[in-house]
Amino acid sequence: MTLPRSLSRLAWTSVLLALPAATLADTGTLTLFADGEELATEGFVAPKLTRDGWELRFDRILITLDQVTAHQTEPPYDADSGAAIDAQVSVPLVTEPVTVDLVNVDDSGRVTVATATAPAGFYNALSYDLRPGADGATMVLSGTARREGTEVAFTLSTDTALRHRCGEFVGDERKGFLTAGGETSLDITLHLDHLFGRADQPADDEMNQEALGFDRFSAGGTQRFSLDGLHVGHVGEGHCHVEAL
Amino acid sequence: MWRPCKPTLVLLPLVAVALVALASPGPVLAHAAEVHLETVRAVAVVARYDTGAPMAGAQITVYSPANPAEPWLRAQADAEGRLVFVPDAHVGRWSVQARHAGHGAVAHLMREEEDGTLAAGWQTAPASGPDPLQKGLMAASVIWGCIGTALYFRRRNT
Repeated sequence: MTLPRSLSRLAWTSVLLALPAATLADTGTLTLFADGEELATEGFVAPKLTRDGWELRFDRILITLDQVTAHQTEPPYDADSGAAIDAQVSVPLVTEPVTVDLVNVDDSGRVTVATATAPAGFYNALSYDLRPGADGATMVLSGTARREGTEVAFTLSTDTALRHRCGEFVGDERKGFLTAGGETSLDITLHLDHLFGRADQPADDEMNQEALGFDRFSAGGTQRFSLDGLHVGHVGEGHCHVEAL
Repeated sequence: MWRPCKPTLVLLPLVAVALVALASPGPVLAHAAEVHLETVRAVAVVARYDTGAPMAGAQITVYSPANPAEPWLRAQADAEGRLVFVPDAHVGRWSVQARHAGHGAVAHLMREEEDGTLAAGWQTAPASGPDPLQKGLMAASVIWGCIGTALYFRRRNT
């Protein structure tokens, strides 16, 4: 059976018109935030000094994010598996490098990275890259360090590129539920204590064992470091699978 | 792959015994009481770091499939990072979140049948979305519906 061309066109036009209408009716607004918690905005101040006893206050903490995608997965993604995220719905939020300052935040202590219209559902997985931006740096931290009468100004930068695959946000509230016409948010959270350690945590804590501390940067000025082997990127308190790019 | 100090959650379906003390509804007897023993299906939460250290006193939050966005239970794990709870009759995915000292993890289990059958683990959940065959059938139905509409108008015009 062959349909006349005009009727065939009508049939396909019906398909094309019907699908966007259904999609628009089932969408909401998804906003991506980034933050470095209080350690970014207030610094490492007593009792939360660095593992080696430095007080740090930051003027800026620039990070560059890329390829950020929110996912709906069933079953839930297990970040410990390290497997690729097998999602039923994936919404690209950042498709080219975006640099944000984790010190210059809004009233909630976060910085808005991106906003997108997205299908309703539970966004229970997130993937993102930390990679060098236009200035060649993945992360730049500048500020002032003090310990026992010594004060040094520092600018620390890294060009380590990392891919993160994360499960659902872990925090005070469960995030990621998007209803039609509603809004929700997801967070990328950088744990700076994985970088500098914490004096108020046991010295043999694994985080302290792996953290760089600040002694190695105590000469001040501009210095470089590597994120290799560190686990700074999270989703709230939830861990991510991390691999080098 | 780096796996520093990650919290892990283990959910263990349990059969526990509940003690139920009931006042007798019959004739009034001094000090009369009854004790019933019932078995219930419970879940043991074991929260620990990947070093094996327990998440002592971890904050445990349980989400029911009836309302997965709001906590069904908030409680504190013991010194060994353990907590036992008895889920209600709602069928579907139960999610358990454990948080301690800035670290957190989530684990899930499915209540698959109304008789209380529990299965712990990641892969026990049946996919809620349509599988590829279902998607194909849905697409075919939409297309066939449009063709049928076109044929209907064609017939009216002839």
